[in-house]
Formats: sequence, structure tokens, C-alpha cells
Amino acid sequence: MKDYFKYFDKLTFVLLLMLSLIGIFLIYSAGFPLKESNYLKQAAWLLFSLLMFFMIFSLKIDFIFRNAFIVYLALLSILALQIFVGRTIAGTRSWFRLGSVGLQFSEFVKIPLAILLAKAMTRFDLIGWKHFFKLILLIFAPVCLIVLQPDLGVSFILCIFLPVVVLLKKIKPAVLIIFLLLTLLGGLLGWNSVLKPYQKNRIVSFLNPMKYKSSIGYHVIQSKIAIGSGGLAGKGYLKGSQSQYQFLPARHNDFIVSVIGEEFGFINTAILFFIFFVIFYRQFKFNFQNDEEFYFIYLFNGLIFFQFLINVAMAIGFFPVLGVSLPFVSYGGSSLLSFFIGEAIIFRIKINNYLT
Amino acid sequence: MYPSKKKLSGEYVKKSATVAIVILIAVFLAIFAAFWNIQIVNNEHFQRLAIQNITRSIDLTAPRGLIVDRSGAVLAESKINFTLYLVRENVADMEKTMRMASFFTAKKADVIRSIMARYKKYPQFYRIPIKNNLARGTVIFIESRQEEFPEFEIGIEPTRTYPLENCAANVLGYISEITETEMNSKELQHYGLGDFVGRSGIEKQYESYLRGVKGSQIVIKDNLEKIQRIQSEIKPVVGATVVLTLDLELQKFIEGMFVDQNGAVGVVDLRTGGILAMVSKPDFNPEIFSQEMEKEQWLALSNDPQKPLQNKFLQGIYSPGSVFKIIMALAGLQEKIISPASRVNCSGSQNFYGRDFHCWNLNGHGSMNIFSALQNSCNIFFYNLGRRLDIDTIAGYAQTMGFGNESGIDMANENKGTVPSRAWKMNAFRQQWFPGETISVAIGGGSLNVTPVQMLKMIATVALRGRMPRLHLLQRIEKSGQTLREFTPEFSRVPIAEQNFELVIEGLFKVVNEEGTGRAAKIAGLAICGKTGTSQIIAKENPKYKTLTKEKRFMPNSWFVSFAPRENPRLAMVVLVENGGDAGLIAAPLAAQIYKKFFANERLF
Repeated sequence: MKDYFKYFDKLTFVLLLMLSLIGIFLIYSAGFPLKESNYLKQAAWLLFSLLMFFMIFSLKIDFIFRNAFIVYLALLSILALQIFVGRTIAGTRSWFRLGSVGLQFSEFVKIPLAILLAKAMTRFDLIGWKHFFKLILLIFAPVCLIVLQPDLGVSFILCIFLPVVVLLKKIKPAVLIIFLLLTLLGGLLGWNSVLKPYQKNRIVSFLNPMKYKSSIGYHVIQSKIAIGSGGLAGKGYLKGSQSQYQFLPARHNDFIVSVIGEEFGFINTAILFFIFFVIFYRQFKFNFQNDEEFYFIYLFNGLIFFQFLINVAMAIGFFPVLGVSLPFVSYGGSSLLSFFIGEAIIFRIKINNYLT
Repeated sequence: MYPSKKKLSGEYVKKSATVAIVILIAVFLAIFAAFWNIQIVNNEHFQRLAIQNITRSIDLTAPRGLIVDRSGAVLAESKINFTLYLVRENVADMEKTMRMASFFTAKKADVIRSIMARYKKYPQFYRIPIKNNLARGTVIFIESRQEEFPEFEIGIEPTRTYPLENCAANVLGYISEITETEMNSKELQHYGLGDFVGRSGIEKQYESYLRGVKGSQIVIKDNLEKIQRIQSEIKPVVGATVVLTLDLELQKFIEGMFVDQNGAVGVVDLRTGGILAMVSKPDFNPEIFSQEMEKEQWLALSNDPQKPLQNKFLQGIYSPGSVFKIIMALAGLQEKIISPASRVNCSGSQNFYGRDFHCWNLNGHGSMNIFSALQNSCNIFFYNLGRRLDIDTIAGYAQTMGFGNESGIDMANENKGTVPSRAWKMNAFRQQWFPGETISVAIGGGSLNVTPVQMLKMIATVALRGRMPRLHLLQRIEKSGQTLREFTPEFSRVPIAEQNFELVIEGLFKVVNEEGTGRAAKIAGLAICGKTGTSQIIAKENPKYKTLTKEKRFMPNSWFVSFAPRENPRLAMVVLVENGGDAGLIAAPLAAQIYKKFFANERLF
């Protein structure tokens, strides 16, 4: 038990906790003008997430990895059921809500999916057709279901697993070319049939925000104004005009970076980013081996990293507004819980590594 | 099929991990750089935009100053009104906005578009007033759903109101919204679109005092354009109060006398030259101009042949008729062509230059001197006087007594009228003067044209035995208890001997008190002196001709000029009833009523 404490990655844990607390702090500011109590909900979720963190942490890795496929299938069926039942009862999904607490199952898919992908990655150095189709199948089954929910942000984030895998492995050029072509085709198909007008608008407005100044480009422009006007030290807590007079859209989740940017300035925003950096650095600075456990660490962190990057890029207009939240910081209980569960597995793997 | 775990190269993975860390560092540096660029390098730019987001500068219209009568009774004031504004910046769907705007304002979408087109050069956040005097129900509807209509705003603004409606309308004048072309003119360059400016009457004359000083407000607003708080404010300064010499009670009384007749009345206080009443009928309600006027409404008013918008007292031109005999008598006496002893026999008609000229009394008046000639308004006496006076001499006296020129009253757009002379005729018609024309002018006919205000000034000068008063409507201008400007009475001496005025006054006294043409104006206990004038019928070329009924067309205008009491005169007045008929029967009794009303109040009677 003493060893457990000794080798437990205390710094990373504290940093993760810090991110969550900063998040609650910012969610309070974001909800301040309308007197929303989201910050209390988030705090409750944080407590529950920590509980789950230690629960998962105490499980055996083998057990978790063995059951990943079952969990994966279970989540897929729930997602499918949601689409089916959600349709029959006029679009409401109240059946999976418990009181005021709603669970967003799509957020949890990333954990079993990362495990399954990690397992698969141990089987090849070079991605051939067979491996490729397996990866595609694993990733796109939930992605399709989540697109139909519809949750553009989460499904997009899951797609990121694919390039994360490809970054670490070699790929047959033919496969790559076909893959890129398919992406293009899928993109066109998606544009014409899957994406809803508002989703298209977000992407169009990203390309030319000023043209859509008063309508859809509004979000990005307001976010940039918020961040830019924050300056070096910010306008002060609860004193950001963009946040407090509600010019900033979705400021409690997708644009939470803009809240810190405006109210706390460059220095504190940089500190927030630095916390992320330290976490990523500590996770990646690891002696990788061809092992599913390490691949999991790599994949899960890769996902967090890209989600972080996309969210931040979105806030300053470098990326279309796709509804991607900032890991650990943005409002969203399911998202917070899923990240802590993933981290619990990573912490467990790392401790096992030290202890053996 | 698959290679065993151990055969896969861990080395490659390790290398990739190193690459990952390099990428990680590079990405973070890029993020820091991007945020540095936005937050530090472009901080000022974004700060400006953030301030622009939440602040709005709003013009605060200054309430226009009051216009009150001599006793402080309010004739024009400002009241609260709700104005609907449209802010283009907040329009999401122009089609929907136009639909809602025409629903709120009951105006056609084209009308609203044309209003908006006027503000093309104004910034997008400018509040375009599209409707004032918005109905309460609409105000509540919009205010309660502000989130749905961020492009609409409701402002509380003062608007001009005339509590007595048509009362003294032509004295007060009206105000209306400035046009874009006017705004570019030099005199109105300090006005902005949406501002109102005085167009006529006192509103125009004392515009600079009445308008006040606009204020402004900087407000903090949220994304739905809801005002959160006022950051700073420069309060508008209320316009100054204009106190008129008008006596509201008298004014109302006189206006009440005109039922379906048109005409003009002016009453002057002879001690000061201050106008106590100025009536021009028909009139209008000036308030319709401070609201938004429908085009039809405007056309109906401006094309009305009775010209309600014209202040007949200043702008209406009429033949003076027999009233002009006063000028003739003064000229004859001053030029010593006649004396109180001169007599002319009136047989009803007389031939001058080969043409028969008639007296109105075709049976003849018999032997007439200057007094009885005035008393009976004998034409033959004045034909003979006219024959012996040169037209230019007559014109000189007419001008001396104020005809042919602006009266100088403190109101714009006076008509000068016409005083015929040799030079005038040569100028106007390139023709010689014919002596026969002088005969017509001698009884106030021919090309003579005068305005009621000129008549008032003339009779006032007669009453004061040659001291010509400067007529005025302004008593003083006050601002927060201080007097900014005050009118001091001005009199000027007319170069006609005082005793000649006394002689004429003797005649004018007889007109009213000794069974003369103005006997209907007689009041026991008040020495009224006056002169009737029943002036020629209206010409066929006059556009008014067609609008009048057959009998009325040929009805002459009725004049009665008078003053009272004879000694130390207090009041002078002119009464004109258009197409009234016999002045002695129509205009003179009206004057009597006015004197009764006034002197009853003065407790002199």
C-alpha cells in the first residue's frame, strides 16, 4: 500500500484536479449573468468522478482489458437504442435521465474503443488492408451511431483515433491513398446528406467569419474579442464584459477558454495551457514498448491532446466550431467522468509498471 | 499469421514517442504564440471591439421650450412619447424585420425601407426612428419580447404637443422633421436626422431658443441589446420658455366668433405694440406635424384652397377698400389740398376723365366735408381728393403708414402687398400710369393690396396720432428663472402732423358713434373710432373663385379697423371677414364684441 502511494503519479493527479477546479471556477463565472448553478452540478460530478477514479484504479488491468469488448458492445447497443427510442418518443431522451442528472453515453465510448484499438495495435507494425478495415470498423461503428444522435463534436473526436494510430504505425501507401479518397468521399457525402444546415454553417462561417458577422460567424468573432480584450492580466473575475454581458456563446463548455482568456488574461491562460502541457509531457515521456497497455496510454492521451488542441484552436478561429469541449475544464459531467475513468486506467498501468 | 509481440520493434515505437514529444512542444509553442498575438499584440484592437460591443451612444432629444401667453397659460409644450427605433446591426433576417416593422408601425414595408434608405450613411448601430407616438400596447408587446426583436428598440422621447389644438395655430406655427438636404445646409448643420425644426410662426422665429441642447448617453448593453446600466450621461438642456404678448382668453374668444367664416383678426395693445390676439381662419392642428403625417394628410392641408397653413394675418393680401380713405384723408390734409372747411357735393356719381365713377350710395350723400365723408364713406369726396393728389404722393403716404412693406412683426414670411405708383406700374407692366387709375386707388381699389397686419399697424399709428408702434408677439424669453431677452416697446414718429390725425380721428369717431357706416360697433361708454371697408369681389382668375358658392363668390371682403378709447387709446384692431359682405353689418359687430370682452376683463367697462 505504501508503494502504491509512492509510485502513484501524484503530480499528474494534482494537475488533473487543478484543471477540474479551474473548470468549476470558470463555469461559475460563465453562469453568473444568468445565475446558473452549473458549477454546483460540475462539483458534484467531480466528486463522483474522483470516487469512480479510485474504484477503477483498484480494478485489475487484465479484468478491464478483458471486458472492454463487452462494454464497447453494450455502449453501442445503448446508443442504437437511444436513436430508436428517441425517435419514437418525439426526440426526447428522458429515458436515460435520472432526475436532473443526464448521462451522455457517447462520451464513454472512447475508453473501451481505446482499449480495443490498443489491443489491435499490438498485432501490426504496418497497417495493411485487413488491419485497416478492422480499425475502421471499430471506430466508425460508434461514430455513425453518435452522428445520428446527433453529436457532431464527440463523433468527430472519436475519428481522431485513426490519425493517432497512423502516426505511430507505418501504413501501406495504397491504403493511405484509398483512405484519403474515402475521407474525401465521406466528407462530400456527409456534407450533402448528414450535416444539418446549422452544422454546415459553422464550417462555412469558419472559412469567412466576417461575412457571417451577425449570424453564424458571431461565435468565433465574439470569442476572439473576449480573448483578445483580456490582454496580459485579464479584466478580473466576473468582470469580463464579453462573458458577463453574454456576447460569448456556449461559454460554460465549448468556449470556456475564452472566459479565462478574457477575465484572467494571457498569463493565466498560459498557466492553464502549461498544466496541460505538463500532463501530456509526463504521459508521453514513457518508455514505450509494443504493449497494449502502453498503446492505450498513447491513444487516450492522444485523444485528450487533440481535443484540447481543437478546442483551443476553435476559440481563436483556427478551427471550425464543432462543439468540442475542453477536457477536464468544460462543463459536462459525462465528459469529466469519462476522462477520469480513462486516467484511472492509465494511473493503474503506470503503477503496475513501477511495481513489477 | 500475426508476428508475435516480441518480434515487433519496440525501437520504432520509442522513436515515435520522441517525435510525439517534439510535436507536443511545437504545438504548445504555437498555441502560446497564437494567444500572445491575440491577447498582447492585438489587445488594443480587441479591447476596442469589446467596448463597441457593450456600449452605445444614444442621443437624448432636448425637450422643446414652452410657448406661453402673457399670463403663463401653456400654448405649446413637450410630452413623453414612445419612439420605435430600428438598429440595422441587430437584424438577422431583413424580411422578417420588415414584416414586424410594418406590423408594429402600421406602415407599408416600402415606407419603412425609404426611411431606412435615408440613413444609409449612418453606422449600422445607429438607431433609426421609424415611428413615434407608438401605441402603448405595441410598446408593451415589444418590451416584453425584447429577446425576439433585438433589432427594435423603444426610446422615450419628448414630442411637441399643443394642448389647445388649433388655438393660435398660425401664431405658434409648427415643427417637423428635418430633411437630409436641409441638414447639409449651413444654417441647419448642427441638426441630425430625426431632429425637428420650427417651420413657421413662433416655432420658427424663436427656434434657436426653443430647441434646447441635445444630450447624450453612453449605455452598457448586453448581447440582446438590453440596457444594463448607464455609464455616463450628458443631460439634454430644455429649451427656453417663450412668453408671448398674446392674451389667450381673448384669442380663444375671437377664434370662437368664426364659425364657418374665414378671415383674420389682430388686436394690439397700444401701450406696447404687443399683439394680444392674432387669428387666422381656417386653421389647423400643429400637432399633426410633430407626429408623422400621412402623405394624404399633408396634401389635403397644403392643397386646401382656403389655405389653413397660411397665416392670413401676415400673408393674406386683400384690397383695402374704403379703409384706404384714412390714408387719403391724411394725405389730403397734410398736403393742404383739403381743410376741415373743404366741401364736395355728392350726387351719387361723377365723371372723371370721360368715365362715370359711382358712390356706393347711388342717391348721393349731398354736401360732404372730411368728417362726414369718412363717416359715410363717401366715394365722391375721395374721388375728388384723389384727382387733386398725384398717385406717387398717395403711394408715399401709404408707404409712410406702413403699406407696401413688411410690418416688421417678429414673424417670418410676411407679404409686402402692393402700393401702386408710376414706377411700380412701369416696372410691373411696362406701362404709363393713367390718371383714371388714381381715382380707383383713392377709394382703396385698383392694384392696392394690403395684409391685415399692415392695416393693424396703420390704425394703431392713427390711434397714437402718428407714433408708429413696432408690432410684436414676443414679450420675453426665460430660462430657469432668468430673462434671456425682453421686448422693449419701440415707437417711431410718422412725418404727418398730429392735428391732422386729430381731424381724421374725429371722422373715425363719427363712423361708429354718429350713425356712420360702423355704427354696429358702437358700445355705450366706450369711445370707439373705426373705419369700415367693403372691398371688391374676388377676380375670376383667383384660384379660390371655383371653391366658393355662387352667392359667396360675389360677396365682398369685410374690413373693420378701429381703436378705443378715443383719448389715451388702449386697443387697436383689425377684423377681416373673407366674403363677409357689408362690412358695417359683418365686421363692425365682431369688433364690438371683442371690445366688450376685453374691457369687461379690464374692468373699465
